[in-house]
Amino acid sequence: MADQSVISIDSLRKQFADELVLDRIDLSINDGEFCVVIGPSGCGKSTLLKCIAGVTDPDSGEIHLRGKNAEATPARNRNIGLVFQEFEETLFPHKTVEENIAFGLKQKAEPPSEDQIGDQIDEMLDLLAISHTKSSYPDELSGGQQQRVELARQLVRDCDITLFDDPLADLDYKLQKRMEIEMRRLHKELESTFLYVTHNQDQALKLADRLIVMNDGVIEQIGTPEEVYTNPANAFVGRFVGDSNLLTGNVVQRADSEIRVETPVGELGVSNDGDQPAMDSEGVVLIRPEDIGIGDGAARYRNEVDVVLEGKTYTGEITEYSVSASGHRDELQVVKPGKPDKIGDKKETKIGFDPDAAQFFEEISVTGEMQVSDLLEAEQ
Amino acid sequence: MNETSDLSTQSEQPEQTESRGTMLDVSGLTKIYPDGTLAVDGIDFTVDAGDFCVIIGPSGCGKSTTLHSLVGNLDVTSGTISLDGTDITDQPTHTRDIGLVFQDFQLFPHLTVAENIVYGLEQMGLDDQEKRRRTERLLEMMQLEELADRDPEELSAGQKQRVALARSLVLEPKLLLLDEPLGDMDYKLQKRMERELLRIHREFDTTFIYVTHDQTQAMRLADQIIVMNDGQVEQSGSVAEIYNSPNTAFVSAFVGDSNTFTGTLEKETTDSSVTINTELGSFTASPDNLHSPISEVIESEMSFLVRPQHLELSDEHENTLECAVQDVIWNPGSSTQVLLDVRRDDASKELRLKSWELSTVPEGDVRVSWKPEHTILLEQTSVVEGIDLEKDILGS
Repeated sequence: MADQSVISIDSLRKQFADELVLDRIDLSINDGEFCVVIGPSGCGKSTLLKCIAGVTDPDSGEIHLRGKNAEATPARNRNIGLVFQEFEETLFPHKTVEENIAFGLKQKAEPPSEDQIGDQIDEMLDLLAISHTKSSYPDELSGGQQQRVELARQLVRDCDITLFDDPLADLDYKLQKRMEIEMRRLHKELESTFLYVTHNQDQALKLADRLIVMNDGVIEQIGTPEEVYTNPANAFVGRFVGDSNLLTGNVVQRADSEIRVETPVGELGVSNDGDQPAMDSEGVVLIRPEDIGIGDGAARYRNEVDVVLEGKTYTGEITEYSVSASGHRDELQVVKPGKPDKIGDKKETKIGFDPDAAQFFEEISVTGEMQVSDLLEAEQ
Repeated sequence: MNETSDLSTQSEQPEQTESRGTMLDVSGLTKIYPDGTLAVDGIDFTVDAGDFCVIIGPSGCGKSTTLHSLVGNLDVTSGTISLDGTDITDQPTHTRDIGLVFQDFQLFPHLTVAENIVYGLEQMGLDDQEKRRRTERLLEMMQLEELADRDPEELSAGQKQRVALARSLVLEPKLLLLDEPLGDMDYKLQKRMERELLRIHREFDTTFIYVTHDQTQAMRLADQIIVMNDGQVEQSGSVAEIYNSPNTAFVSAFVGDSNTFTGTLEKETTDSSVTINTELGSFTASPDNLHSPISEVIESEMSFLVRPQHLELSDEHENTLECAVQDVIWNPGSSTQVLLDVRRDDASKELRLKSWELSTVPEGDVRVSWKPEHTILLEQTSVVEGIDLEKDILGS
């Protein structure tokens, strides 16, 4: 494993004044991986990126790049590409797109020949579909084009590691969706290692080979998007990645591969194969909105709850139902593909889900300091 | 993911929400700025009482000018604005009975949450009991009871926005205008606040007009969507109308994801289906989305769209295409997206397919198909003249 990892981080720690921003960070990123770091603002994800880039020094711990301890290597010699969100400030306003991109190549220790530079620029412009902007100045370009020039400028350097700090955050919806697809394609074609930070969890799920979920300076979970989404390590991860319904509860019964949990909306069966929590232990039940049935169909599931339909929203691709259950303050969400079904004026209905669609967490977060109420408050 | 028919047996009747009449009637609204810029060009629209109306469009489309005309802090060049039957075009802002919520909250920093909420009531000449009743109701509905004595600076962004909403709603305005109120919030909080807004709208039963450039937010929030472009209204309608029967190619490209083609309508045709020839082959479409009689548009060039979730990895349906799989984006908890490349002779095109049901996607060449009814014809590119589909709408 060690010889495969391009970035290897061991017990990294960083403190600003009296605030611990990174703690116990262990991470190994393989050659050619697309890793995405997500977490709420202030979780330390940008600081982690800066430590790897060499623009921030960690207080303790080690970073190895391509097997070599990075401590002795100053930022400019680390041969790492860096793409930030504020791309407007990084492009040279008085240079054309071509000159902007060439600049990075000429800065290299052993710069390529003029011909080679020309070829590499043409190739990169073509890859990013901005060949027609070659002779334009940055202020003649749209935001999306400028962002692609910045991408081209970093990617043309052909670094085997590129770090991205939320590069698509400022783009409008349509362009963001396009660029997400472009990022996947670029990563495939360049075969380099991407480490990408974003606060947009929807984007993270689409881009990542592996997700790194951070919270309050520590790593909560590392895994493929599928693993993190379907088997979150704790309630924080389950809540942060994807949409979910949360119910607090106590374990009242334990049986083979299933526990019964008393919640504000009634007693629920929850699948539990591993080490089962003790009787009476407190925790939260998490259910994904798309795993819940609503209406007459709810009866075929093993957990059933009487609810009142409060609202429904059709967004073209999906319909989201909001329901309330007595005893629970927050409305519950149910998501189905397609148009809303004919539901008439009937407000009283049922929702249902099977025990294996629900998960019970005793652990709220690896930080050990979070309560259920903190999870909900974090979203206020 | 289960079948979507769970609710279908509950009632045979499609849901009808009873219209309670028109709350806002905008007619011929035009705004020319002193520098000669025509920002809004004679637009008409109405909003029903109790509806959540969202105005969307690209930047510079005139949505903000429209909003400021409704508020009354902008003199309109011509046209009328009627609120609940009263012409308010020339009324000063403070007598319009319209509330306003901004992105930056604009709370009074030296007043507590409760004082911020009660502030507007002081001017209304209500007795103390009524003031207390209204304030307490708002604190409860906004789930702000425990924060009543806090200063705004102690609150999170979501809490501040709820105070800003409470401060407007306590005055019980006929209309609440919201100007990109969730613009600066991060992803998770935005989603949460969208749900809150829907709940608040339901409980207050007030007419909301919400301006945003974010089309996903619009689709989640709106009863009625008004799509603007270059000072004009491209379409006004329900989410279902805008999404499933877009008036123009501009609307279909702006709202939701789509695969857009261009072709020529063929001569021989029946009343229930038409054939459209493209560089990539001939396809059958339903004429339902045409504005003109078929006979008038035969042999004319026209675009059409197919939504990604209506493409299937099969050759079951009438319209088929040979494609090569380029990329598969597994999106846990949501639909899987397949990027496809289709080539025929010199023509090529990238398509997107979305499905909730795929468990595997073959590599290499595949066939995709879709139903004629999902081939949505777009007779008009835009209500704005001189708009080019490729350059102005589909381009980056």
